[in-house]
Amino acid sequence: MGKTKIKIDYSKCGPEGNVDPRECAKCLNVCDPCVFLRHEDLKYKEENVYDPQHWKITAIWPSVCTRCLKCVEICPENAITIKW
Amino acid sequence: MCKWCMKHGIGQKWYMNAKNYSNQLADEYNLQEYLTEQWMNFEAVYIRKIAGLSSKGLGYKLQMPIIGKILRWTVERMIHGTVRHPNPIRADGHIGQVIPMEDAQIILSELAAEPIVETYCMCRKMQRGVNYQCCINFGVLSEVLEKLPRFIPKERAHRISREEAMERIEEHNKNGLVSTVWYQPFPYINAICNCESPECGALRLRNDFDLMIMSKAEYIIHLDQDKCQGCKQCVVMCQWNAIRYIPSIKRVIIDYDKCFGCGVCRHACKHDALKLIPRKEFGGFNGHY
Repeated sequence: MGKTKIKIDYSKCGPEGNVDPRECAKCLNVCDPCVFLRHEDLKYKEENVYDPQHWKITAIWPSVCTRCLKCVEICPENAITIKW
Repeated sequence: MCKWCMKHGIGQKWYMNAKNYSNQLADEYNLQEYLTEQWMNFEAVYIRKIAGLSSKGLGYKLQMPIIGKILRWTVERMIHGTVRHPNPIRADGHIGQVIPMEDAQIILSELAAEPIVETYCMCRKMQRGVNYQCCINFGVLSEVLEKLPRFIPKERAHRISREEAMERIEEHNKNGLVSTVWYQPFPYINAICNCESPECGALRLRNDFDLMIMSKAEYIIHLDQDKCQGCKQCVVMCQWNAIRYIPSIKRVIIDYDKCFGCGVCRHACKHDALKLIPRKEFGGFNGHY
């Protein structure tokens, strides 16, 4: 299998988009091999460092992706594209 | 000194040494500060650049001809780092080992430093988006975690007694979760995780990328072939795909290379066919961690 490229459009998801990954997290739930990672966005300076408020999703382990495309289907903002 | 520290210790079972759990050690290494910094940024550890590279697409990066080899060497060196002043935003000296339920209970009853807390598993939180209360932390880390609201369960008390902790470990093991014990950082032990694949970060690095972040247990499973009735209940318990049912012989077979010796499958066996034996006594797999 060649390389799988997973792109997330951050203008749709994350601090700059309409959806807060802390509430949505549908892609994390649907992904069998757990390709995605939800983490605090390092671009923002947090008011309370113990409780960050800006979260985003990164496709961190594309090499274990099985290309089932369930995340593409389930994303309410159509923010995920997968190419190979 | 209690019987556990007299009997075991360095060179045998590293996690059976009371010194590694002591508050004195934590103070000596100034771990309050270190762990606060590390846990504040825990979810971002994979995306931070270390030596110019982040973990994003690590599987592909490790496959690259020369860079892959250098990267593997760097990561392993970092994980096994025993430096005096570890870097909190990396996984310096974060080594673990699978332990069976009995060993976990000995740790929680005799060795772990108070207070003991049960918090949300950070791996499941960041990789699966669920809050699952199963990580048992103790000592200095407990106090650090109490400052971080996202890891503290609201419905259920997170500070637990030794007896409760032992009960919880039993519950998790019977549920099919694998107990693992962790240096964080070396030489301070402050966590027993109850892991599952593929959410667990350590299982990912070990099973998918072959990085030695976590060792197999000091034990390995032994199947009594005559006692196995072929009910297949143990197959669903195994997090390592080490057990398979073979219809023609009407029993299960075990892939000993994949067996981590967690002993979770024992809890499903009604016929007493599975038991753990010390890895040392198991010919071909003595020394294979």
